[in-house]
Amino acid sequence: MKTSIWALALATLAATPALAEYPEKPIEIIVGYSAGGGTDVMARTVGKFLEEALGGASVVVKNEPGAGGQIGFTHVAAAKPDGYTLGTFNMPAALALTYDRAADYDAKSFTYLANFVEDPNTIVVSKSSGYDTLEALIEDSRANPGAVTMGLSSLGGNDHFAALMMAKSANSEFTLVPFKGAALARTAMIGGHVAAGTMALSQTVGFEDQLKVLAVLSDERSPFAPDVPTAKERGFDVEMSSLRGVVAPVGLEPAVADKLLSALAAVNANPEFQKMMAEQGNPMNYIAGADFAAIAETQSEVARTIWETTPWK
Amino acid sequence: MYSDLLHALPQVLGLTNFLAVTIGVIAGIVVGALPGLSATMAISVLVPFTFGLDPLVALGLMAGIYNGAMYGGAIPAVLLRIPGTPAAVATTFDGYPMAQQGQGGYALQVAVVSSSIGGIASAFALMLLAPPLSKVTLLFGPAEVFWIAVFGLCSIIFLLGGNVVKGLISACFGVFVSVIGSDPIFGNDRYTFGYLELLDGINIVILLVGLYALPPVIDLLEAPLKTENAASDNLGTEPIWRTLPRMMRFWKTWIRGSLIGIWIGILPGAGGSMAAFMSYNEARRASKTPDTWGKGEAEGVAASEVANNADTASALIPALTLGIPGTAVAAVMLGGLLIHGLQPGPMLFRDNPDVVFGFMWQFLFGAILLLFLGGSLATNSFAKLLKLPRPLLGSIIIVLMLIGVYSIHGRMFDVYLMLGFGAVGYLMDKLKFPLPPVVLGLILGAFAEENLRLALRIGRGDRSGLLANHTSQVLVAMTLAVVFGPGLKRRFWGNRNSGAQG
Repeated sequence: MKTSIWALALATLAATPALAEYPEKPIEIIVGYSAGGGTDVMARTVGKFLEEALGGASVVVKNEPGAGGQIGFTHVAAAKPDGYTLGTFNMPAALALTYDRAADYDAKSFTYLANFVEDPNTIVVSKSSGYDTLEALIEDSRANPGAVTMGLSSLGGNDHFAALMMAKSANSEFTLVPFKGAALARTAMIGGHVAAGTMALSQTVGFEDQLKVLAVLSDERSPFAPDVPTAKERGFDVEMSSLRGVVAPVGLEPAVADKLLSALAAVNANPEFQKMMAEQGNPMNYIAGADFAAIAETQSEVARTIWETTPWK
Repeated sequence: MYSDLLHALPQVLGLTNFLAVTIGVIAGIVVGALPGLSATMAISVLVPFTFGLDPLVALGLMAGIYNGAMYGGAIPAVLLRIPGTPAAVATTFDGYPMAQQGQGGYALQVAVVSSSIGGIASAFALMLLAPPLSKVTLLFGPAEVFWIAVFGLCSIIFLLGGNVVKGLISACFGVFVSVIGSDPIFGNDRYTFGYLELLDGINIVILLVGLYALPPVIDLLEAPLKTENAASDNLGTEPIWRTLPRMMRFWKTWIRGSLIGIWIGILPGAGGSMAAFMSYNEARRASKTPDTWGKGEAEGVAASEVANNADTASALIPALTLGIPGTAVAAVMLGGLLIHGLQPGPMLFRDNPDVVFGFMWQFLFGAILLLFLGGSLATNSFAKLLKLPRPLLGSIIIVLMLIGVYSIHGRMFDVYLMLGFGAVGYLMDKLKFPLPPVVLGLILGAFAEENLRLALRIGRGDRSGLLANHTSQVLVAMTLAVVFGPGLKRRFWGNRNSGAQG
């Protein structure tokens, strides 16, 4: 009895330093995109509140743009799992990259900490397009396969997957036109150069006078657009969204992981943080730890299936 | 809307906000003047710090930097034939010969006055015409933008220089560089040899610094003790109130250049360098003495500098109203806006008028301040650079180039790439291959390819889609006029002359 208490005390003593000391030096959040983009702004906002939640630690955001984020994701996957290197993680893009290109990481290379943003995809048309409902658009695309042009941001991301899944579910065909970024796709749609588009819901906010969102590709209607039906309601079982969260390399020390998880939960609970994220137009969906990992697994599977059935290069 | 504009004014005139613009302009001039450092970089460095700042202070800094850097790029372009920013390439054509003739001071004054005028015109376009001009942007889909790129390539054909074959080889090299990286539609790797660093293509600054800055520096170092002719050391700076009346004859060029700059600005993707090239070309064509161009014609400096600054505020029109960042700088600025909860789009003007219109005023003040800060202060201090011993000057520039290129993505790969381009540039320089077509080929090549492929995809492979609407047809007609116009004119002109003789 006595020895076991001692053993316990010793074990606690041995374990506490690592826990108590973390973080003893600045924590880096690697962002695979340039400063000023949506993911970068999220990382900086999270970083700012994480400093508080970790009791005055220093959190530094480091941009390592390039290769559609792959350089940054690879760096995080290969880093030492000591809790001093974290990274932003974008799904499904980060996982799609592991299929359409040689990558030095996969879905199992990370410790999934917390997802903050979930931005559902939409099927959207310009107000002047004449389409009023999802059904009308689908009908046209069935009557004349490929005649409906659909603008989206680059192939191999959530927009692309959303369009493919929509086409499959509706048994129709669109001509996909991948622009450099959703804003260009949106402009081409407003200008009437493409018939329809798919983009994240947040990309349509502020363009209510120009665009008509036909459907949201999520399980439930979004609080951002309560009047817009889900595709499911209309009989198309399609769900696709863009997720943004924070990960660490696989094999993160459990004590450090716990500390980070509780700090990130505190960040999420902070009303100031929620206010700032809302101002930046982020639909929030906080998913932490094992649940986040499970979603990554599912997303990886979705990307793999799409890549195997409809490879895009 | 215009009452909102006036409503935003008092805030902007507050001390801190005004100070922010002033500091921004000075910082911009310095950054622009250092080869390798660009406005994009300065603003990206700034973005993280703006978290704690009041929105207008942050935006004022950005507006100032953008305006300042566009002029700052002209300083080394004139003094050393090294464009400080991509948009200053056209400034070297006449700026450097002027400096060699002992008119460097005057060239810089022309540059600063023209920059300021371009910036003011652009700020007014942004303040008064942003919503209607954004409708013009909507007219340009992929097919139309493709024709713009073709028009740009054709109208600037004079850049090929004396030897057309060498010029074409240079242009092809530029287009080849634009092909490196993942292709714009499917993302297939092209000439990347497995390097992830090459997937996004080659950043224009890396090419520019290698090609343009390294050869002149090597020249500087090759003959460190070479006795310079007295003229080029002497800047010949006169007080600006005495030179200003001499500049008044550029008024047509200023108006033309401003319009070109504003027009290019609202078309996303082309950027300040194309504006400067086109303005230079149009001004030269309109000139009565086209032969003096490229040999130290002050109007050439005016044409280039007015247009690259006229591109600044107008590039924010599509950025603010449609969320499309026309240039790399505009993209970073959008990020700065996002941090403060300002989401681009038509609603921005309605929801946050004070900040948005304040930002526009700051652009205007930035452009005006440029005249005062860039005029005497910057011009005089930078001009002293030339008095430095050549080996010292060369070494300083090399260090700045390395730091600048490294800091774009924070990796050595880019530095090696730049040195590689430097070697190519050195050889091209010695073999008398012109450099501007390379820059243009890189910018417009990628631009043309991407939009052509998008247009063909929209038309599902049907090429007639490229000419389907009036905007495209007008652009094609303009391109044909530019290519065949001079030939036809000469022919008819020639016929009439020979007729008169006969």
